[in-house]
Amino acid sequence: MNLSIDELSPNVHSGIRNSSTWLNGRTAVIFLVMIFLGQNWSKAHIIPRENLHPVAEAYRRSTFILNLNPVVWETVRKDLNTITKYRNEFSTAGGENLNQQHENGFNDKSRREVFQQMTKEVSVICQGHLKAAEEFFEDSEKAFEEVKKAQGVFTAFAVLLREVDPGGYYRLGQSWLGMANALGSPGLLGVGVVEADQRGFERAIQVVINYLERNFGEDFNPPKGKRLAPWPVHSPTYNPSARVSVRLPPGSNINKQIPRPRQILNMTARGVDESETPLIAVGDMAFDSALIFGEPMRSIGMSCNNCHNKSITNPNFFIPGLSQREGGMDVSNSFFAPHANNGHFDPLDIPDLRGIRFTTPYGRNGRFPSLREFTRNVIVNEFNGPEPDPVILDGMVAYMNEFDFLPNPYLEKDGRLAENSLAAAKRGEKLFHKPYPQMGGMSCASCHIPSANFVDHKRHDIGTVKGYAPNSLDRALDTPTLLGTLWSPPYFHDGSQPTLGAVVEWFDSTYSLNLNSKELKELTTYLETVGDGTDAYEDTVYYLDAEMEEFSFFLSAYEFLESKNLQTPLNLTFQTIAFEIRNHQWELQDSQYRPILGRLAEIMDEALAANQSGNVEEVRSKVAEYRNLYANNVEFLK
Amino acid sequence: MKMRKKPLTRIPGNEITLTLVAILLFFSSAYSQPRYGPKEEVTAPAKMNLKGDTLNIAFISYANPQQVAYDSEFIVNFLEPLLGRPIRGFITLDYGSSIEAMRGGKADIAFVDPLAFMMAHEQIGAIPLLLEVYDSGQPTYHSSVWVRREGSVSSLEDLEGKTIAFADQVDMSGHLLPRDVFRRAKLLQGDRPEGEFFKQVYFAGGDEQAIRAVLNGFVDAAGISQYAYLLLRPEERDQVKTIADSIESPAHLVMARKDLSREIREKLMEVLMGLDWKNAEDRAVLNKLYGVRGFSTAHLSDFSEVAKIAAHHGFVKNPKLFSK
Repeated sequence: MNLSIDELSPNVHSGIRNSSTWLNGRTAVIFLVMIFLGQNWSKAHIIPRENLHPVAEAYRRSTFILNLNPVVWETVRKDLNTITKYRNEFSTAGGENLNQQHENGFNDKSRREVFQQMTKEVSVICQGHLKAAEEFFEDSEKAFEEVKKAQGVFTAFAVLLREVDPGGYYRLGQSWLGMANALGSPGLLGVGVVEADQRGFERAIQVVINYLERNFGEDFNPPKGKRLAPWPVHSPTYNPSARVSVRLPPGSNINKQIPRPRQILNMTARGVDESETPLIAVGDMAFDSALIFGEPMRSIGMSCNNCHNKSITNPNFFIPGLSQREGGMDVSNSFFAPHANNGHFDPLDIPDLRGIRFTTPYGRNGRFPSLREFTRNVIVNEFNGPEPDPVILDGMVAYMNEFDFLPNPYLEKDGRLAENSLAAAKRGEKLFHKPYPQMGGMSCASCHIPSANFVDHKRHDIGTVKGYAPNSLDRALDTPTLLGTLWSPPYFHDGSQPTLGAVVEWFDSTYSLNLNSKELKELTTYLETVGDGTDAYEDTVYYLDAEMEEFSFFLSAYEFLESKNLQTPLNLTFQTIAFEIRNHQWELQDSQYRPILGRLAEIMDEALAANQSGNVEEVRSKVAEYRNLYANNVEFLK
Repeated sequence: MKMRKKPLTRIPGNEITLTLVAILLFFSSAYSQPRYGPKEEVTAPAKMNLKGDTLNIAFISYANPQQVAYDSEFIVNFLEPLLGRPIRGFITLDYGSSIEAMRGGKADIAFVDPLAFMMAHEQIGAIPLLLEVYDSGQPTYHSSVWVRREGSVSSLEDLEGKTIAFADQVDMSGHLLPRDVFRRAKLLQGDRPEGEFFKQVYFAGGDEQAIRAVLNGFVDAAGISQYAYLLLRPEERDQVKTIADSIESPAHLVMARKDLSREIREKLMEVLMGLDWKNAEDRAVLNKLYGVRGFSTAHLSDFSEVAKIAAHHGFVKNPKLFSK
């Protein structure tokens, strides 16, 4: 099936009465296909999911997680089951499932043992397929299938071997090619037949088996003092000091959303010319830049926009070992910023930033009264970045302060429901305002004050956080707004509630409110009405044109930054535009214009170099060149 | 010995199609069995020219037979009322089976690549009807010689004494066309490129394996489709580049059994050529037809140049059949 992107822009997210039907008909089919394919869209700077052999996927994911502190053993257990299942196709020697060996639970000491054992098992599986290929040699189709399976399993090790043992990796690569070669060709209608070469086939297989046996066989023992990885220490060409790239584990999804959420910047909505708001432009650029962070964010290419896509929650965001569920992540972890790891697994739901200027304090537990302080902490401590330039921080705060809530035609200015609201919602509104003795005489509206954007700017312990001890006082959370919530599931600080209905049921159950089913639905309808908003998603066919327009907005800050001689933000602007253009280049509909995109990125590289050498005239000239080239080709760059 | 199936990679198409191809090729057995032909027993040529007789269409499966079955059912339902006769669609896993089905009267129409068509024309008189039009807007494609962007190879001459991967021995875009690039550059003369110019030649088993062999440095070059880079992940694509292109080959095509009535052929051509990619409903149909942008009329003379290349390798005996 071939899916075109324009089929993915259904204008279905508009108004509460339509909201329940958005996954309908053809759209539903498309979304189901997306799910089947792992949301493998190749447009809009989407990184397709790697299609790995299940063993390679399980091994690489578990290896990533075993290097984290703490280890999420629940995921590792599943992966171990996968590896054992495949291992048992070839050999049950080596003991029972590692999970069974550790039925009393894994601990930190288990990491090394688990990694050692699973590495050997992956090697056994790969060798098993290669030996099967030899056995099937007379049926070259089956033999090639086994070779492909072996190669699929081998990808568990391949990414690392390529970097730390290029010589060995090359020899193995020749062998994989040699296997395909040795199987010959059936020709077409009897023409072009090439006979198979059994000796060559077996010789190529033996090279791979020998390598695996020598490095990841029974004696495999990962070197101490290094992170757990399949280091080929017995290969003569192993380079222990080689640089190893940073990778997210299989199953990660940091892709932005399609269709794009609609972002409302207050100044734009008021008709302001964007070229007159340079500080906001600087902030927009920084919000979309991985370069304000440190490693590994830079290498991965992740920016604020990946989690808070166009300012709202990215509901698909997921990194195994760091996320508990989609749309959330532990931001005090050992991967992104080891120095600020708090040592326990406490993933948080990614907050919606719409209307953020109205929702102080910041952080799920409201620990930051200022958005500026909060933003600095995200950059420096959550994602290992350098101390941000003051103008960058000012810009980011200015930009985020422009994020508006979606307009909601069902709400009056004081937050009460409008006349055109559903009757059920109006009945739910009464329940929302009703004091409950079980809640200390408070109503829902006591904290989510309708006239104050449904927040009270305070912190409360409502029982959603598990403390470190029964009487610990570490559970209070900032009151979140209810505006826009229909478009930002899941709910609660940890994303544990998938729907607003589940939230209502949680309160009913936790506080013994004794709401009947009709009341539960009415209260849910009220919340859905308050959380609704018009046109939550863009009705966009192509995506590159919008991105290119945004890059021009980034560059609109040039005159301001140049006039103030703000070198660091200027450098960041040029770098970010070049980086983003290259990331987006494959979205171009008509590939003949790819050189134009390439040139635009190069101009930004040249502007950066000129700026770094203090050549102001050259920078000015490059900015003008970029603007001209873009203006002359804007209609094709989509 | 039972021989391995020939890999079928159909790369031209939009990027999403290509990504799907890459995924599906990995998990499926996309290899043909040209030696064995269709499993159905071949019968005498059908006299299917009368109104109401069933039209048999052979759809080729490049990767996922279930998906092609689903798509072909859609196409059959689309075509039946427009052609005014019952249509039976069936799936073949290789071009050899399509040709044998046509030879035996089991297929009236088939979707094939240029090499399969030329052999079918020469052996059973198959008639070219329509060429597929790709994203480029042209009913053609070419092959390229791919190398690593940061490598030392910048010209064909630089590849002397080095290694190259092709997709498969019997592959127009994945072997014959790119090999012809070296022949035209007078770098290859004889039939055995190995030792004559290259140090070693590999047949990697498919376009993806070949382009990945270049990316990973296992070989110095790959001679495969111009679109092969789309089988790489986006972040990998900038690591390879082309240093030479082959001549343009006519695109994959729709061919007809030689005694299929002119009326049916013309009607089918009228319907398929009437599909406009800019129209959403038509686009849905084209998306089921391998994601092409449209169709244009095919002529025997379109194949004149590629027939010479096929003849050089023994696939076509009389290239003059395709003379202009």
